[in-house]
Amino acid sequence: MKSHSPWGTSKNPVKFRIPTADNLVPIRLDIEIDGQRFRDAFIWNPSDPDSEIVVFAKRTVKDLKLPPAFITQIAQSIQTQLTEFRSYEGQDMYTGEKVVPIKLDLRVNHTLIKDHFLWDLNNFESDPEEFAKTFCKDMDIEDPEVGPAIAIAIREQLYEIAVQNVTSARESRMNKKGRRGFEYIQSSKTSGNGVDIVKLFGHKSTVIRKRKDWDVYEPIVDLLSNEEVDALEAKEERNNR
Amino acid sequence: MATDVVTPPPSKPSPEAPSATTTTPTVDPPPSTTPVTITPRPQEPEADVIHIPSYSRWFSWNGIHECEARFVPEFFDGRSTSKNPRVYKYYRNAIIKRFRENPTRKITFTEVRKTIVGDVGSIRRVFDFLEAWGLINYTGGSTAKQPQLKWEDKETKTAAAAQGGDSTDVTVPKKRFCSGCKAPCSIACFASEKHDMTLCARCYVRGNYRVGLNSTDFKRVVISEEAKTDWTDKETLQLLEAIMHYGDDWKKVSEHVGGRSVKECVARFIKLPFGEQFDGPPESTELDVELGVKNAANPTKKARLSPLADASNPIMTQAAFLSTLVGVDVAEVAARAAVTALSDLGNGKHQESSKAPPSITKQQESDNASDVNNLDSTEEALVKAKLQLEKEEDELEKAISGITDEANEIEDKIVHFEEFDLQMERKLQQLQQLQNLLYFDQLTLLFHKTAAPKTVENAGEAMKSE
Repeated sequence: MKSHSPWGTSKNPVKFRIPTADNLVPIRLDIEIDGQRFRDAFIWNPSDPDSEIVVFAKRTVKDLKLPPAFITQIAQSIQTQLTEFRSYEGQDMYTGEKVVPIKLDLRVNHTLIKDHFLWDLNNFESDPEEFAKTFCKDMDIEDPEVGPAIAIAIREQLYEIAVQNVTSARESRMNKKGRRGFEYIQSSKTSGNGVDIVKLFGHKSTVIRKRKDWDVYEPIVDLLSNEEVDALEAKEERNNR
Repeated sequence: MATDVVTPPPSKPSPEAPSATTTTPTVDPPPSTTPVTITPRPQEPEADVIHIPSYSRWFSWNGIHECEARFVPEFFDGRSTSKNPRVYKYYRNAIIKRFRENPTRKITFTEVRKTIVGDVGSIRRVFDFLEAWGLINYTGGSTAKQPQLKWEDKETKTAAAAQGGDSTDVTVPKKRFCSGCKAPCSIACFASEKHDMTLCARCYVRGNYRVGLNSTDFKRVVISEEAKTDWTDKETLQLLEAIMHYGDDWKKVSEHVGGRSVKECVARFIKLPFGEQFDGPPESTELDVELGVKNAANPTKKARLSPLADASNPIMTQAAFLSTLVGVDVAEVAARAAVTALSDLGNGKHQESSKAPPSITKQQESDNASDVNNLDSTEEALVKAKLQLEKEEDELEKAISGITDEANEIEDKIVHFEEFDLQMERKLQQLQQLQNLLYFDQLTLLFHKTAAPKTVENAGEAMKSE
């Protein structure tokens, strides 16, 4: 697809999209009807026609034997998130030459995953799905539900960053105080997330990480026992309420 | 942190075990024709024999067949970089592996998509494709699985309704004997739970049951052909060959197949998904020409079948079935003959004329059917069919006249609009003229204005000079 050139610099904004090979949207559902709670997360292709949404909602409700009241709720929720995504679509995105850190901190059934790595925002051929699959294979994860959860978490973070870049672009355009304003506003608004490649890989530093950073960037995969899972779930419930 | 390793359920080999599988996809005839390296896996506890329908024989773990490229084209047209054959294979193999971990149970789409990394739209399409082709959720012997065939859907619906909807697998595999006439039941029979009796359709219609029973006590149960004897591939091939050679001559077809009655051949042929699958896609065009006529005829037969087939009236279903067996022309002639016969009967000119047409129809029907009902009732049914046809024609006419009326109205409206348009144009022109006039007036005013101060000045000067 696009070559690895600094497309997203302030001089050359790119149209908004998730910076991966596929423009797929992470969707999260959290619906409660009559005391029954349904939580789910999956990846959706926004170029699928909207008729697919209802089909998917019906299929899910039928497969999980949920009460039919869920169908409209699910469809609406998906539709809202998709519309939000599409509302960003026409706008410009300034990604800069940024490499962003992605943090994984999730629990899927009995597996707990913590990880921290860097992701190149300008690589429009990146593929979170491949990353997730390789991660599961390398770490010998047996639970097959972990892979999709990782891919979704990565996409959500990338989505958020992309959205931030759009809004910052809008604001910086409104601020007409000269060129300097661009860079400064970008770096401050995104709370220093972006790591400047030049700084990191300048002539003085190497690609290899310093020893003291190893712990931070190492992936941790834990298998929990039933009691620990229950305890964590109870804590999450309390936090959510 | 955690010391216990609690792994999720399956005691069977983990899903990581890759493409070399022993779950040989077999269909009833022994040799499996899939080009798969078969390496024995020692840990298999149950004898896993996975059944897949014979038209899905092309499936292999490592390869992608042409019909996959045809039915799920989004992965093969190169429009999206992440939708490529490799990803398709990953989805497909993952879904099938998941299903085969527990082949006795139908797997749902939601279960599967939770475990596959990818966007749910594409996963769903692959899942539907695999299910339609029986590579997953194929519990052999049941006819309830194939979503493409309307005839079976009707069957399952009626039987499920009749039995109070106990399960999706509707067919009653055991042989049923009629308590009235002691003959084996086929196609449809009537069961009464209360009195534990089974009656074949004939006995039920004739009222051949004990005193004290009511016709409402009986529920209709449909028996599928396949439950009795499954069609082997050889037989299916023979059937197709025969059809290609003999066309509509079902007697010869059944002879060629050997061991199958005419009715069974026809029923089996109707149930086949697509004739072309047996010969592969490149030949599909030729086959289409040959079998196209058949396929075209069959859908119309099916279409005609459906409105009558779901009636709980066994007579109507028999008549419908007979009419398909017999062919369009013959059925028409028979119907006409029946109508004339009945009308003649009504007029009172019976005896000779009534005997001749009924005998003709009787001959034709007995030629082609194996279990014919009462002659009068079939004639009645055909008459009813005719009436319905006429009714529908009337409705059609009404609809058409309604449409023409509306078309006329629309024309009128268009004419009106054109008039309005003309008026609008005229008004526009007038407006423009007025505008021009105004402009002109303004100009003259300006001239006068500039002229006026000068005259005032001149006058002033003149005054001064004086």
